[in-house]
Amino acid sequence: MIRFDNVTFRYSTEAEPVLRNLNQEIPAGELALLLGATGSGKTTFLRAINGLVPHFTGGHLAGVVSVNGRSTQEHQPRELADLVGFVPQDPVSGFVTDLVEDELAYSMECLGVSPSVMRRRVEEILDLLGLTQLRTRPLRTLSGGQQQRVAIGSVLTAQPLVLVLDEPTSALDPGAAEEVLASLHRLVHDLGITVVLAEHRLERVMQYCDSILLLEGGEISSGLPSELMQTSPIAPPVIHLGRLAGWDPLPISIRDARRAAPPLRALLADHSPAVHAVSAQTQQIASLRKLHFAYGNQSVLRGVDLDLDAGEITALMGRNGAGKSTLLRVLVGLKEPLKGSVRINGVDPRALPASDVLRHVGFVPQEPHDLFGALSVGAECKASDVDARCALGTTRALLALMAPEVCDPTHPRDLSEGQQMLLALCLIVAAKPPLLLLDEPTRGLDYPTKKKLGEVLRGLAQSGHSILLATHDVELVAELATRVVIMGDGEIVASGPTPAVITESPMFAPQVSKILAPERWITVEQIAHALEEEPA
Amino acid sequence: MHAVPLGRSSAISIAALSLIGVFSFLWPFVAPADSFLVINSSEAPLLFAIIIPLLLTTVFSQISDGVLNAKAIALLGALAAVIAVLRPLGAGLGGIEPIWVILILAGRALGPGFGFLLGSISLLASAMFTGGVGPWLPFQMLAAAWVGLGAGLLPKANGKWEIFLLSLYAAIACVAFGFVMNLWFWPFSLNLPEQIAFTPGAATGENLLAWIRFNITTSLGFDLPRAALTVILIALIGSPILQLLRRASRKASFGAPTVFAGVERIS
Repeated sequence: MIRFDNVTFRYSTEAEPVLRNLNQEIPAGELALLLGATGSGKTTFLRAINGLVPHFTGGHLAGVVSVNGRSTQEHQPRELADLVGFVPQDPVSGFVTDLVEDELAYSMECLGVSPSVMRRRVEEILDLLGLTQLRTRPLRTLSGGQQQRVAIGSVLTAQPLVLVLDEPTSALDPGAAEEVLASLHRLVHDLGITVVLAEHRLERVMQYCDSILLLEGGEISSGLPSELMQTSPIAPPVIHLGRLAGWDPLPISIRDARRAAPPLRALLADHSPAVHAVSAQTQQIASLRKLHFAYGNQSVLRGVDLDLDAGEITALMGRNGAGKSTLLRVLVGLKEPLKGSVRINGVDPRALPASDVLRHVGFVPQEPHDLFGALSVGAECKASDVDARCALGTTRALLALMAPEVCDPTHPRDLSEGQQMLLALCLIVAAKPPLLLLDEPTRGLDYPTKKKLGEVLRGLAQSGHSILLATHDVELVAELATRVVIMGDGEIVASGPTPAVITESPMFAPQVSKILAPERWITVEQIAHALEEEPA
Repeated sequence: MHAVPLGRSSAISIAALSLIGVFSFLWPFVAPADSFLVINSSEAPLLFAIIIPLLLTTVFSQISDGVLNAKAIALLGALAAVIAVLRPLGAGLGGIEPIWVILILAGRALGPGFGFLLGSISLLASAMFTGGVGPWLPFQMLAAAWVGLGAGLLPKANGKWEIFLLSLYAAIACVAFGFVMNLWFWPFSLNLPEQIAFTPGAATGENLLAWIRFNITTSLGFDLPRAALTVILIALIGSPILQLLRRASRKASFGAPTVFAGVERIS
């Protein structure tokens, strides 16, 4: 269906090609998963399929990319619109209209489809993607997962043979990601659409895909998941565990892994997981007492009690709308609680003048670029030194430690997602607030960047900061958090040491714990550690 | 990098339109007393008000043929919307019109072709908001298009010199815009004192003097504050806005060549 024949591509501003001599065929009806580190050319590859590269971006393309026999050399992206549906990374930026139904009909209007056919297809797509309830809703009131499904629906109404998606679930919580992936699965099975998708969150998509394309240094290797994953540098925990235990064939899904697990269980029977060392000093940084908060009549927080200690990394989990973000906002003094008290080192953040808040509590929002105001990284760091009232150069030095590859003249918004997150963290940490709050810090980050962020946060905790992260990322929590607090409906429903809390809940369990439950193993690292002790 | 590259044929058609445009403004100074325009001087502006839009449409389609892509249209639309929203702010406030900053900076950052289109389209769009649709609109569109075009044709300069150059240009352009815009109705304005009134068929120099006196006594009070505000804004926010526009231009990779090589292998 999709053919790359000796494709080499280079952007006109760069000397080195992004894609080198690619020869790849993706057969019809396949769900292909594209892997690669940030900056490895995944988006370029995806955009080359419908000719956006090079028609839109400019650049030098050698070789032939063709879809169903139509080459992008002879056809503009608009002439491939009936063949390839492209869903960009941020669905909201692609929306043209305000309502779900209008958005679904828009691409057909552009293609000149007759009104009666449009009517019918909109109905079909609403059913197929489970959007019937939302048909008259404004797009901006939808959740992330719903928006993503509308974006997919709006390209499907043109009845393409190929669907190309750039990180469709990276920014979604597990439930919403599940919805989107289930929809894609259905498209492949029921309609025989060929799907190519790039994704960082492998633990979510691996089990759905038929083949894997791995981009490294501009070159591609492809194969079945179980083969390619033997050596892939990018892999979800289940694969790492499989490799560690030497399972063959390598299990891709949790279910397969569990069936292969009994020998490993036997081996681990005499061991117990190493737990994070809890520091003896328990200096309390923040305390919340009987906190209530409401938006209008809608009660969001209902009597929350929470203590945060120095040196602790606390993960705040719970479904969307459980009150996690609101809790963070109340803690940093952005929202005034209805009842109850907030104390950070004995001070109420709302009583502080705005310029002093940062020295008590720092908040990194979900979109880190909300904190950026300057035109270059260098200027941003200087402005931060002034805000934080610290010596000139402090923020820059922090950034050099956390992200040495970032250069001063770069525009902050031109940084990658991960670099933006690290820069935002530096801007906050420069003022040395004892309490650090992060809202979904790993959204859209790839594994190496996540690991980097984890190390940075662990270092900050060891130097005495108390860190509270609101997150859906169970693997991050398993590796990083010392304590987990689960919220439901505005109340704290569970709180305790990480292994105890997350292994008890199927919703928040990491892959390793799903495979080895009821034992309390949560990370591959723990198991590797235990197996090292095992006499051979 | 130019968002809307002007080929030779586009340049020629802009030049031809501008020539007719110049005449549509300046005819009072050159037309003989017995010419058709002078005899019908109260209808003459209407004649041009019909001709100019027709010509503008032709030039638009000429410019847009092949080079006006989705990226340029998106940027054009966004900036024209910004200008259209800013324009009512200036209504009746003694020439406080922030729109010229955007137009001049956009012309500078994105090229003469883009500036030309933005000038005319944004004035058309803002006229819809402010209810300012009338026979003056085609003249305004053409004059604003010249302002944008001129900003894009300014010589190269960097840093402070660029801001200085743009400020100088802005001051001249803002006053010139007011002077030139007086011309469309000046010939048929009635009951003006003799010193500042149009005299059909009088010597060019005489009419020119009368026109300058007319400008100074009537519109200069609007033109100078407009120029002053534009210069101040360019000095204050010119540099960051230029950087923003240039970043947008870079992100859209305007003007990046698209090359297809054959199937031969590149090693």
